[in-house]
Amino acid sequence: MASGKAVDAVYHVEIPKAARKLRELFYCAHYIHSHLAHFYALAGPDFVVGPDADPAKRNILGVIEKVGLEIGGAVIKNRAYAQKIQEMIGGKATHPVCNLPGGVSKPLTEEERKKIEEMGKSFIEISKFSLKLFDDLILGNKTYKELITGNTYRHETYYMGTVDEHNNLNLYDGYVRVVNQRGEEFAKFKAQDYLSHIGEHVEPWSYLKFPYLKKVGWKGLTDGPESGIYRVNSLARLNTTDGLPTPLAQEAYKKMYEVLGEKPSHATLAFHWARIVELMYASERLMELIGDPEITNKEVRTIPTATPTEGVGCVEAPRGTLFHHYLTDEEGMVTKVNLIVATGHNNGPICMSVKKAAQSLIKKFQVKEGLLNMVEMAFRAYDPCFACATHTLPGQMPLEVRIYDSEKNLWQRLKR
Amino acid sequence: MKTLILGLGNPILRDDGVGIKVAREIGRRVDSPWVEVIEACTGGLDLLELIRGYARVVIVDSIQIRGRRPGEIFLLHLNDLKTTIRLSSPHDVNLATAMELGRKLGLPLPQEIKIYAIQGEDVFTFDEECSPAVEKAISQIAEEIMQEEGWSKKLERPIAQA
Repeated sequence: MASGKAVDAVYHVEIPKAARKLRELFYCAHYIHSHLAHFYALAGPDFVVGPDADPAKRNILGVIEKVGLEIGGAVIKNRAYAQKIQEMIGGKATHPVCNLPGGVSKPLTEEERKKIEEMGKSFIEISKFSLKLFDDLILGNKTYKELITGNTYRHETYYMGTVDEHNNLNLYDGYVRVVNQRGEEFAKFKAQDYLSHIGEHVEPWSYLKFPYLKKVGWKGLTDGPESGIYRVNSLARLNTTDGLPTPLAQEAYKKMYEVLGEKPSHATLAFHWARIVELMYASERLMELIGDPEITNKEVRTIPTATPTEGVGCVEAPRGTLFHHYLTDEEGMVTKVNLIVATGHNNGPICMSVKKAAQSLIKKFQVKEGLLNMVEMAFRAYDPCFACATHTLPGQMPLEVRIYDSEKNLWQRLKR
Repeated sequence: MKTLILGLGNPILRDDGVGIKVAREIGRRVDSPWVEVIEACTGGLDLLELIRGYARVVIVDSIQIRGRRPGEIFLLHLNDLKTTIRLSSPHDVNLATAMELGRKLGLPLPQEIKIYAIQGEDVFTFDEECSPAVEKAISQIAEEIMQEEGWSKKLERPIAQA
């Protein structure tokens, strides 16, 4: 979607309103698909089954055992619905082919609209259930609540997200907004100005760059107001908004901050909670869009006439703010590309979170049981995609913990 | 009940897309109402929705095994895949886990899943064509799979009874 918007900008073309709405509709379905998988298949095992549970049980099968087969079926069904909607609008669900310079390739028919509307009702129900499940199983458990709000998984950083003109959340378009550790607005800019605000630090030991706020500067892997490190993804998005523009999501958003006791929240594990608040927002927004009479308007493309040059596209990907920046020749052939992907923004924070979790779990040669999983929880909260972020493809997660003594002698090695 | 030929891979990632191309080729040659072809660039939980309702599923995908010849075919079963990289992806579960979940949920899953894995030479370069050795072998691979499955002639009845 970011690439589609970047191409619009390269061709200097405004897309028709219906096209914009169709893209946003597609995107809501994409969020639902992504967030459902993350909550139930990836985060769920940590919280629903438990961080110290037997690894054989700490997976989606263990989650289903605990929450019931019916819910498992509902998760699979709703993911399939979300996939179907993406396919209807995008041609393909995983690699959509609908975006063209100036709009989308086809309008939505009334028959398709009705089908999506029917499926959308189910999204609201699974979102309600997921929020309740979080309440019952996680907030109702003192240990889990302490884990979320405690110091092991906490970093006070800047936050970045996309908002509309009223500073409400928007996943598809608007202004990129940055707030500081106290929640005050630090910057608000249009995507095309991203280079004035974001620098990309390089370390020789990583393929992945370390974006930072230029106006604060790179001070290394450290948090606080003096460090340009910022975070993106679900909690960062909610931290940068003044509210959510749909009723049930707004209610869940208010409750989340009341329980966390601070806004912005600096609790890394609260990214999971924010994700299901967003699940509700995406479900409600999908229903708003599908009920909009303009969604079936046939005018879905403005044919570009200008000579292509340069453009920036930006959206809120499920894992965070995503920038695509292309330069082209006069025939539209790309000559230069810069991408800052969600996991790239979070690279510094992920390193910091892993370090802090490890430090708090290893004391005086005692390695706490479940260390591998507790460290993994630190970076799983960001739902990272290292394959995208490093531009390498295997996407492996060969987790290994090496513990050294004070003289840097390898003392213990733990791996999966 | 039908058989699904499921071509998996990324069609813009050189040999990673060979499964899709072979499945497409088989679909072109097999003319039967009992056989359907789906091309997909997905894995894990999404596969459950694709394969539900079919009696048999024949997956065609690419693989990389050290020291093997590009275009070589391997016949695998679900248990062989329990340690694929999908297992360790932070985004999804692997096929074996997804199948176990589907069975627990009582989904109508296939009685049999066969996986034809084709040795790729290069699965990391962006390209819509396979590498020459693999591209050249696509037609032969399709024929070998069809012979193995007994589809080398036009089908008039369900695979299960063929």
